[in-house]
Amino acid sequence: MAGEQLALTVLMGLLLVLVAAVLTRLEDWRSYTPLAGGAGAAGEVGHAHEEKPGGITRWLTTVDHKDIGMLYGTYAIIAFAVGGIMAFLIRLQLISPDGAIIGNQFYNAILTSHGITMLFLFGTPIIAAFANYFVPLLIGADDMAFPRINAIAFWLLPPGALLIWGGFFTAPLGIGIDAAQTSWTMYTPLSVEQANPGVDLMLLGLHLTGVSATMGAINFIATIFTERGDDVTWANLDIFSWTILTQSALILFAFPLLGSAIVMLLLDRNLATTFYAVEGGGSMLWQHLFWFFGHPEVYILVLPPMGIVSLVIPKFSGRKLFGFKFIVYSTLAIGVLSFGVWAHHMFTTGMDPRLRASFMAVSIAIAIPSAVKTFNWITTMWNGRLRLTTPMLFCIGFVSNFIIGGVTGVFLASVPIDQILHDTYYVVGHFHYIVMGAIGFAAFAGLYYWFPIFTGKMYQRTLAKWHFWLSMIGTNLTFFAMLALGYLGMPRRYATYAFDGAIAPLAQITLYHQLASVGAVILLVGQLIFVWNFVNSWLEGPATASADPWNLKETDQFTKEFDWYERKLETAIADGGDDDDTLVADGGESVDE
Amino acid sequence: MDEQPGLSDQYRMASPWPLFVALGLALSEVGIFMGLFPVAVGGLLLLGGSVSGILRESGYVARPWRTFAQLGGFFALLGVIVVGTQVDLVTAIGTDPLALMGTLLGVVERPSNYAVLGRGMAVVVAGLMMLAAGGTGSLMARSTPQP
Repeated sequence: MAGEQLALTVLMGLLLVLVAAVLTRLEDWRSYTPLAGGAGAAGEVGHAHEEKPGGITRWLTTVDHKDIGMLYGTYAIIAFAVGGIMAFLIRLQLISPDGAIIGNQFYNAILTSHGITMLFLFGTPIIAAFANYFVPLLIGADDMAFPRINAIAFWLLPPGALLIWGGFFTAPLGIGIDAAQTSWTMYTPLSVEQANPGVDLMLLGLHLTGVSATMGAINFIATIFTERGDDVTWANLDIFSWTILTQSALILFAFPLLGSAIVMLLLDRNLATTFYAVEGGGSMLWQHLFWFFGHPEVYILVLPPMGIVSLVIPKFSGRKLFGFKFIVYSTLAIGVLSFGVWAHHMFTTGMDPRLRASFMAVSIAIAIPSAVKTFNWITTMWNGRLRLTTPMLFCIGFVSNFIIGGVTGVFLASVPIDQILHDTYYVVGHFHYIVMGAIGFAAFAGLYYWFPIFTGKMYQRTLAKWHFWLSMIGTNLTFFAMLALGYLGMPRRYATYAFDGAIAPLAQITLYHQLASVGAVILLVGQLIFVWNFVNSWLEGPATASADPWNLKETDQFTKEFDWYERKLETAIADGGDDDDTLVADGGESVDE
Repeated sequence: MDEQPGLSDQYRMASPWPLFVALGLALSEVGIFMGLFPVAVGGLLLLGGSVSGILRESGYVARPWRTFAQLGGFFALLGVIVVGTQVDLVTAIGTDPLALMGTLLGVVERPSNYAVLGRGMAVVVAGLMMLAAGGTGSLMARSTPQP
């Protein structure tokens, strides 16, 4: 023990010396002049000709919102790949009733990690990626209100991911730290009683991602309130910034609560407190705290994607967003209502039936603002001049999947139905229609729509359409099969399902599981095409000649971020930039359709 | 200062500190909660140092060493409060301060034997180190003329 202590001390000492050495190489802090003195502005130093340092240093030290957006995006896509591979393993395992490829413990571990990875390491960061890059451009700000806090918020994420996945790295070493098997909801008493320190690591990682999200949210609120350009008012603030503002407010109220609940769980696990013990708050306390965060989290994840969809659909329908004001109002309404529905996750816990009824009423009420949005998107497209570009296809896919995910949600919000379907695959199918079919699709729509801006290139259209159609078919096959599995009574989370035939129709259940797995294969192929297209077009695609790749000027919808891009292209040509490759996208074809 | 500008003087959109603030926070959380004494102390030092650095860089404070010492004082106080929940400090100092010192040094020697006390002492030790370093730095900075 003392040896370990000594080794750790030496290691930490070395780390600190290394950090100090790196810092002294990078930074001469004697050169700092207090800003109040007026001499600290970059221009007066006489060395600030270039905007950013070169190489890896640029990315490790950047505080530019666009660079940080790119870092968030890269991080989110890596996390999406990790979470996706975990999901694929889950689906492979469930091809046969006894479990096809992996052990039950490992299944539990990847089931836990898949959920946390997709929600906290992919979902929140991919939204932060879009928001960091585009909100300042859309509102005419120079940068975020607090650029350094922005960078801190991002850099908390990589240690968070390493901690959350830490158990997978340490399990093969045989040092007694395995991946957590608590499921993403971390229900007590299970999560208190699992002695594995991997659970602590995961909780700490989750705490760090929560701190990161909170810092980001404060930054977005401050930016949207104080950094708007002179011509951007509350009346003409774009829909994406509205959703980011609402989302940030939700984060501000929800994430600190998750952080506190996690700290209490860590204290219960390590320091013998009794917050969630029977003699303390009881295990229901965790469920209340967790879902008071957890349900707003759903809207934290879905509102900005709705903003992207509301932004993109009009561009390819040739008309303005129908009922802009009502979409903003419905966003705010969802934001407020989202804090009054958490106990619909707990209808079968034996809570007071009168409370249950009130939570049912509020949960069903959320269908109203959601439907307002859905009808507004449909009406925007109605009689419009539709152009089925890839971002538009993903938006239409969003609307379609959101309707299925939403309607199944209305059923689940109803107490008597929930009592039958609770903890079955119906719930899994329902929320995957939202998180993959809607949120995932909107993320793809955003990535394709803004691809020309952040890469200066154009993606390959045919591959992108393959990506859409494989994703659409794969999503619907996989998650519709799950709805059917739920009706058959298949409980969620199980690693195997070799039931007694008297309990459930095993042949049918196996068939639907296999269908869901076929859907997963289709999804995987689609995502491989996406990654190839994304990387290949970015590295080798021809530069875009026009700042208006979507012909937005034609319908007077050339928005601020494309304005910015146009200015950037013009400046690049003016100072003899290397943009001499003026081929249009797709090998000479016009990019608009 | 024009002779040898630092990174964040040369480039308006660069700062070396955020990465280390995040790393410091992550290490101190892991160290404190997992009961790893050296990691907790090192993490808190890194956190305190980089917070002082970033505040200095962005012009919120004029003297980083003083901020470092102040943060150290805050941590030390916080740690003492945690230690105070386990040991009756007032009585112990009044009756036998040497024995108290012995106990606390024993905790530092084998912190993993003590749950709350070990963690509290990690925060105290980190805070005292920062106080000492920050104090010394302040004095040295005062004796050398500012550029």
